[in-house]
Amino acid sequence: MSLESSLPLVESRELQRRIAASRDVPLGREVFTLPLLFITVAALGGVRVAADGTLAFAPPSVVALVLSVLLIAALVNSGALSPERLAGGARTGLENASGVVVLISLLLASAQILTLLTPPSGLLSFVFTSFLLLLLWNTLAVGPDRRQLLRSLSVVCGGCFLLKFVVLAAFYDPNGGLLRRVVIAVLEGVSLGSLGYVPDRPATAYLGFATLLIYFVGLVLLPGRQRSRNAS
Amino acid sequence: MSATAIRTAGLVVSLLYAASVVRVYIRQPATIPEVTGSLTASVGAYRVDRARFDAGLRFFRQDQFVEARDAFAQADPGRQDPTVQFYTAYSYLRQGWGRVYADDVLYRTGRATLDRARQVSPTGTIVVDDSNLKLHTAEELSAEFDRGLTREWSDLNPARLLRERP
Repeated sequence: MSLESSLPLVESRELQRRIAASRDVPLGREVFTLPLLFITVAALGGVRVAADGTLAFAPPSVVALVLSVLLIAALVNSGALSPERLAGGARTGLENASGVVVLISLLLASAQILTLLTPPSGLLSFVFTSFLLLLLWNTLAVGPDRRQLLRSLSVVCGGCFLLKFVVLAAFYDPNGGLLRRVVIAVLEGVSLGSLGYVPDRPATAYLGFATLLIYFVGLVLLPGRQRSRNAS
Repeated sequence: MSATAIRTAGLVVSLLYAASVVRVYIRQPATIPEVTGSLTASVGAYRVDRARFDAGLRFFRQDQFVEARDAFAQADPGRQDPTVQFYTAYSYLRQGWGRVYADDVLYRTGRATLDRARQVSPTGTIVVDDSNLKLHTAEELSAEFDRGLTREWSDLNPARLLRERP
């Protein structure tokens, strides 16, 4: 016999109300903090500062949108995101609307983060996208818990960031960075000419790093799956 | 404040913020002043520097086009005012205009400036009521740029030497 069925009706309703209230996301976080954080990530994630100093605003690519759906599936699977706490039949229309805004902004922010972490075109873009697809697929198959998923994501995103903004930027540095000189000295005769890549100004990397940090703050603040009170 | 009011306010703020971000992505501003100009224009708070604009007009009327464009750029750093951008485009036209041939580089730059000005104009066109100008609308200015950039047999007509500067 469950706890609720053993209680008188009024106390049972009060208990249900308290349980529902405990599941609620803090109001300010749901209606202001999360949407504004994720919209900021979606805005900053597409900013590129070209070598001549001009700005460009890259919208999310279609592949990044598909990958971001996988990423959100992994968040839900791990319990880092509990969609029923943002939208569902138990909530009013207005509550559902604010929850849907959080989910849509999370989707766009994730897509922009993935766009930020992959080279814009060419063979390198294909390699990075395949790498991210396999990692997300593997993450879905393994089914990590919330903490493991967030750690895994930080490693994947941090690794891609380093590869794109440190390693590739050094390889393709028009002034010939240290890494480029070392690689060319070690691998005599190697040419990177077939792997077209135009590095952005370092400002893009700094902005991208800040964007990644904001994104992870948003992920940590997402309403996750709550543990059952009866669980041991 | 009730939860409903807070939720409504949050929705409105989020949607306005998202709309301003989408606007920036559509407009594709190339510099920081243009980004701030686009954002302030989205809430109707963008204003040109009237004194610098008047100074630019004085330069423009004295055929000092480089100085005029400099003043116009200071008057409208976000390139959000269609009228200022119309005069900027016009300065390229007058500087590039010649009786024998037109300067293609200046004409192309002027054409790009005019296209951008039409994008920021709410009506998609620009009308300037200035008796010192021969062309008063964006359409006329655009057609004049096109004529200057097009090569055709009528370019060899000697009567072209007698035409007036637009």
